[in-house]
Order: sequence, then structure tokens, then C-alpha cells
Amino acid sequence: MPEIIVKPSNLKELWEMLPGLPASRRYLAGGTDIVTANNAGAESSVCWIDISGLPELAVIKETAGSLFIGSGVKISEIERSKAAARWCPALTAAIPHFASPSLRNMATLGGNAANSSPCADGVCALVAEGACALLALRGKKRRLPLKDLFLGPKRTALKKDEVILGFEIPKRPRAGAYLKLGPRAYFGISKAAVAVTAEISGGVVKRVCVALGSVAPVPLHAARTSAWLVNKKLSAETIAGASDLVKAEVSPITDARSGADYRREMCGVLLERALKSLAE
Amino acid sequence: MSESKSNAGLSVFALKCAVNGERTEREICSSRSLIEFIRGDLGLKGTKEGCGEGECGACMVLVDGKAVNSCLMMAVQLHGKELVTIEGIKGKGGGLHPLQKSFMTEGAVQCGFCTPGLIVASEALLRRNPGATLEDIKLELTGNLCRCTGYEKVLSAVEKARGK
Repeated sequence: MPEIIVKPSNLKELWEMLPGLPASRRYLAGGTDIVTANNAGAESSVCWIDISGLPELAVIKETAGSLFIGSGVKISEIERSKAAARWCPALTAAIPHFASPSLRNMATLGGNAANSSPCADGVCALVAEGACALLALRGKKRRLPLKDLFLGPKRTALKKDEVILGFEIPKRPRAGAYLKLGPRAYFGISKAAVAVTAEISGGVVKRVCVALGSVAPVPLHAARTSAWLVNKKLSAETIAGASDLVKAEVSPITDARSGADYRREMCGVLLERALKSLAE
Repeated sequence: MSESKSNAGLSVFALKCAVNGERTEREICSSRSLIEFIRGDLGLKGTKEGCGEGECGACMVLVDGKAVNSCLMMAVQLHGKELVTIEGIKGKGGGLHPLQKSFMTEGAVQCGFCTPGLIVASEALLRRNPGATLEDIKLELTGNLCRCTGYEKVLSAVEKARGK
């Protein structure tokens, strides 16, 4: 465990507190990843800053064009949010596959993103939603497409002390799906996962975003497959074509959870099933 | 001020919370985990530590009415909140809770190590959804491992306690 944990009560207090803290420091949100990493000997910061109580990060709010989900909102709160159910079809479909009910009472989307694991169910779905991350460092705020936040396993584009305030999801009526292949039906880590959102009009794809989990060093935005699908009729041929294309876009590895070839093949199968469900 | 001196000032945290219905205020080591606080500082040994990584659910407690894994939560995160451990789960009049009774009558307890977590998780579900179906119960208990009973008896115990 770290030597100390500090608990600012709001963002202003956090920024004021930073200069007096040990240089070796990390943020603590839901704790489900960082405490596990600590117990496994993979996290050794001197100081953790508990941002789980910051009121600025705990809100879900709608503006004219987007839905904002604060980085500190618990996954189980998103599960109960009517606004999220309406505007985030892929995320809504992903939540039952996100760990277990008790871990969903603790974990946050901000932590899921900052941990930058390629298998993170929440952020894979959020990438498919076309979300932007809102970041803050003292007075400076910036907005980053979520897909650009991830640089590799456990590596993000976050600057030292930068906080993820939350995620902006465009409010557009669309359909979505999240399909996960794991070792069992629930509470497993995925071998491969596919998240899709699509706006379909008269059977033709107008906008689409395909994202994949556990088959690349980062939660993958399948840009080529997504672009190829636009303005195509969602026929059996189109679905088969997209399924072939996505297999060339992923770069899975063989590890304890699955093999690279199997994962690649399953990306095609999962995307096919997801697109079929959206075509119906 | 040297870094170690400034750290010394930050290593103690004045924690205010409610424990099983009673308000309490304690000075704790700020880096203490919730399960260390519960078992070590409060001396409430009903909560068990199994895997220490959120997989088994033996350490589950209620924080503001929601089931959480106390092995992955830090004690400072309890500040301003209400903790209920297995010791705080009681029936009306202070006797055994209906879940505790049905776990006994259905034979849902063998070695007993997972039982506090299972009862806490089931209690959270039945408070939120008193008419929970068998499918609801199965989904709610996905985060609780039992290596003795095979779950059938656990599921029937929770079904039997429903509505009581």
C-alpha cells in the first residue's frame, strides 16, 4: 500500500494540495484496478490521491448536443441512468458484462480509461459511442477523442496530475451492440469483444463506429472497417465483407487467456453477430 | 519542510462514518484498506478476506446500502458513509435475519467462509428488488464464489428468504 492517501473534497482543493504531495503519486478512483495492482506488487506510488469523492466528477448531465458522464460516476449508477440508456446503446449493452455487481458499485469509467487496459469493457463501448474525454490540469482543460487517450497497455496520453473530468457522448439516435467472448457468460475477462454503434436509415448505414477489446494493444477503434461500412446497405454480403475486413484490422496476441488466431477469427464472428442484430 | 515530515502529517486521517448503525470517529492510518479497518481496527471478524483481488466476494460489506468488496476499497473512502457488515445484518427484534435462517435450513453453509459475503450480497439485492427472480439472484451473485455447496442450496436459500 502507499504510505499515505489524501482526500481532497473538491477540484480546487486538489490543485492546491498537489505542490505539497510526494512526487511519487497516483489518483485513486474506484480502486478496483489500482488496489489489485498494488496487491500484486505492480503499483508502488508513495501517495494516492483519492478522487472518488470529488463532486465535479460525480455527475451525469445532458446539454443540447451531448451527454456528459462524469469520470467518477459508478458503473452501477450508469446502469440505472435513463439518459445513458437512451444515448449510449453500446455502453448500456456492455455494462452487464462489466465485472460483477459489487465491482460495478465501486468502479468508475474514469478509472476504466486511466488504467488503459485493452480488455476494458467500459472504454471499448465508449470508443464505439464516439466519446471525447474531458481532461483538466489545474486551470487548463482539454478535450481528446477517447480513442486517442490510449497509447498502449497501461499507458495513456494523460499528463502528470491531469484528471479525467468525464466523457462527452454525442446525442444522436442510433442502435448499438456489445458482444463479449469470455471464459464464461459473466464476470470473466474477454478473449475478444466488439462494440458497435450505427445510424441506419432505410437499411443503409449512415454512420457507424466499430471498436474492439482485447485484440490490440489498446481499445481499438476499427477506422477502416467503420469507413468501409458507410453508405452500404446492411446486407448479408456487406456484413460478411466487414467481418473479413475487421480480421485484418486487429492485431491480437497469444496469452494466458486465448490464442491470436482464435481471437482474430472471433472478431469476425462477433462483428457479424453484432451487425446482424443491428440490421434486424 | 522535508518530504518525510510532510508525509507524517498526511499519514493520519480522521475518519467519520457509521458502523452498523452507530456513528463513529476514528484516527486511522490513511493508507489502511477497508478490510483491515473492519477486521483490525473495529475488531469485526465476520467479514472474511479470501482472494484479496475482488474475485471471490467473501469480503463483501454494504456501503450506503450497496454491496462492495472491502478488500479493494480503502478506509478513507468510507468517510461520510454508512458501513454495514455481516454483524449488522439482523432480523426484526435483533434475532437472526431471514437470510441467515434460510441459509441454515437449506444447508447453504458448509465451511462457511463465503457465507458472510453471500448474505451481504443477497441482502443488497433483496433490499433493492424484494421480488427478485431466480435469474436476478444468479446475476447478483456472480461475484461470490463458494467452493463447497455448488450454489443450488445458496440459490434456494435466497429464494426462500425473499419477501420475509
